[in-house]
Amino acid sequence: MTDIAIITLSVICNLIIYLAFGSLLTGRKDKKCPLLLSVIAGFFFYYFVFFFFCVPPMKYYRPLSMLTKMWVPFVAAVVIFSTILNGRKWVSWFKNAMLYVKKHPLVTVFMLLLIGAQIVLVSCTYNFTLDAAYYVANVATSVETDMMNVYDPFTGAWQDHYEMRYFFATYSIQDSVVCQLTGIPALIWTKSVMAVTIILLTNMVYLMIARELIIYRNGRDEVKAGEDSANEDRTGTDHSMGSSKNGELAVVIMTALMFVINLTFITIYTSSLFLMTRTYEGKAIVGNLAIMTVFYLFIRMNDDSIKTRPWLITFIVCFGAATISSSANMLLPVELTVLFLPMIVRKKAWKMLPKYISCVIPGMVFSLIFVLYVKGYFVFYTFPN
Amino acid sequence: MQGLNVTENGIRYLWECFSYYTGSCAYFMLYAAAVIYISIAGTKREKEIFIPCSVFLLLTVYNPVAPMVLDHFFDVNSEYYRFFWIAPVIVLVPYLFSKLIVTRTDMKQMIVVSLLIAAICLVSGKYVYADGIKWAQNIYKMPPELIEVSEKIHEDSGVEYPKAFLEYEYNMQMRQYDPKMLLTIDREDYLYAVSNPSYSREMLEDDTHPQYVLLAALVRFQDIDKESFLNALETTKTGYVVVSRDNPRIDYLKEAGLSIAGETQNHLIFKYDLKEPYEFELVDYSVVY
Repeated sequence: MTDIAIITLSVICNLIIYLAFGSLLTGRKDKKCPLLLSVIAGFFFYYFVFFFFCVPPMKYYRPLSMLTKMWVPFVAAVVIFSTILNGRKWVSWFKNAMLYVKKHPLVTVFMLLLIGAQIVLVSCTYNFTLDAAYYVANVATSVETDMMNVYDPFTGAWQDHYEMRYFFATYSIQDSVVCQLTGIPALIWTKSVMAVTIILLTNMVYLMIARELIIYRNGRDEVKAGEDSANEDRTGTDHSMGSSKNGELAVVIMTALMFVINLTFITIYTSSLFLMTRTYEGKAIVGNLAIMTVFYLFIRMNDDSIKTRPWLITFIVCFGAATISSSANMLLPVELTVLFLPMIVRKKAWKMLPKYISCVIPGMVFSLIFVLYVKGYFVFYTFPN
Repeated sequence: MQGLNVTENGIRYLWECFSYYTGSCAYFMLYAAAVIYISIAGTKREKEIFIPCSVFLLLTVYNPVAPMVLDHFFDVNSEYYRFFWIAPVIVLVPYLFSKLIVTRTDMKQMIVVSLLIAAICLVSGKYVYADGIKWAQNIYKMPPELIEVSEKIHEDSGVEYPKAFLEYEYNMQMRQYDPKMLLTIDREDYLYAVSNPSYSREMLEDDTHPQYVLLAALVRFQDIDKESFLNALETTKTGYVVVSRDNPRIDYLKEAGLSIAGETQNHLIFKYDLKEPYEFELVDYSVVY
């Protein structure tokens, strides 16, 4: 029971921290910016900032505890600062959320059950995966040795150089920082706390995408009546879905079907399998959360319905994802290209081109560094030569 | 993607890779059908959102030449499938299905369409827990016996970091639970051992990889003389060998002189007394800063 309380509390703390970070990004002025977007953007922003705290001490073989001492006060300061700055907005968001719950109690209960089922499945099942031998063991090893990526997680042996595939993916080091700070064992933190957190965040994105597609806020002020299809109007309601009540029903059905697909689109390669059985791995976060967040931002930018720093948020998501798993280095530039390039061309929004390119750059740079490492151009040693 | 190689397969690689990726699931077919539907009957906004990206994906990720080009710069053999994650299957298919359901005019139609869609989903995929759900037996999500093995080795060993040879599954799991346990075999060596029939003579005589002898004896069950086996334990500083009770090499271990230091319901913990006691120490970085 204590373990469940610790896990629940940790997940709540995670979400509060992400909200605090994200609110700094999404700003105070845009009242239409959903709370959930602040939380999700905050998740990537958190790992983006952590990267800059983590890499220099790691490169110069400083202890994990030194990073913990730097990072924890910083996070505390950000949370306090953001609370002072955004507290009122959060209260108003929560009031609106409560109003929604009162207005749609069945929808709320159904969504809670849906997410609850996923949480139970990912946090209470036993799955044997080879990659956990690296990721989880790396967290445990870093805590045990008070060093970062210096000892081989598979065997515990000292490594004379850093493995560049994982060097910039500092996600697991953040796990180590928290485990060191709180004393929570690596297995509980990664396979329960982070798994539940990722399931919650992924479902938030699903919900935002479903609402955006079905009950969307299509540039309400900008769409002129009759300009769009006959099924759409100035209020942004897709009338092909019928009344707004039907819209809510459609959102529920859509998110439920997303869950069904995640349960049934299963081979050892699909992102659904990663989400359901290897939730704590960086690949699962990139393949589900990051890709879907970029897709959501694309829908909003396509509709011109996001006012606050859409490209900055996209940049942070892309950079943040690259610090979570090196898989993002290739995936997100390709996703950005297939989504945003056609949109830029169609809208003739050439000013967006440099912004698109700047979002692609982090992944490409990390990829290039890795190629140079593989080809033997450089190596980062774990001890001064 | 294991066993698939761009150089060997050429432009067939993409199709082979895609076949592995989708397996028996038909969701990509549903996605393709949904894209066609949207391109014919979708609203302007739906077309803007779903059609250009699908066409671009077809031209890039699903272009058979793409993996061949990429392979010149990066090794994409085992990771190209991840590009398939970009296709918004999980958005478009549920979106159209939900639209099909809620746009029915009466309840009867709604129920019939919902049932039809449920049936399509059931037929189109493979359930993640098709082989049954394995509930975790503890908060660590580790086999309880692994925890027992760890405790028994630490109880028996006088050192902070004992070193052990474990069977495959425990080898992959032990350090997630117990980072104080050093392991003799790393992941790549174990993967080689379980996926290749035997070790060649050259490999067994390779002094730089004494762990091959241990793997040959205990995983591939090759005929290894006991002296070489004990030498390999000594060279690798392995103090413990943990095997399951049904391992056919139990008598071999006993005959080699290893003693039983502990046992659990399904495992035996053998101890080897190193001639030169070994105590692993963390590198002292205080001299650096």
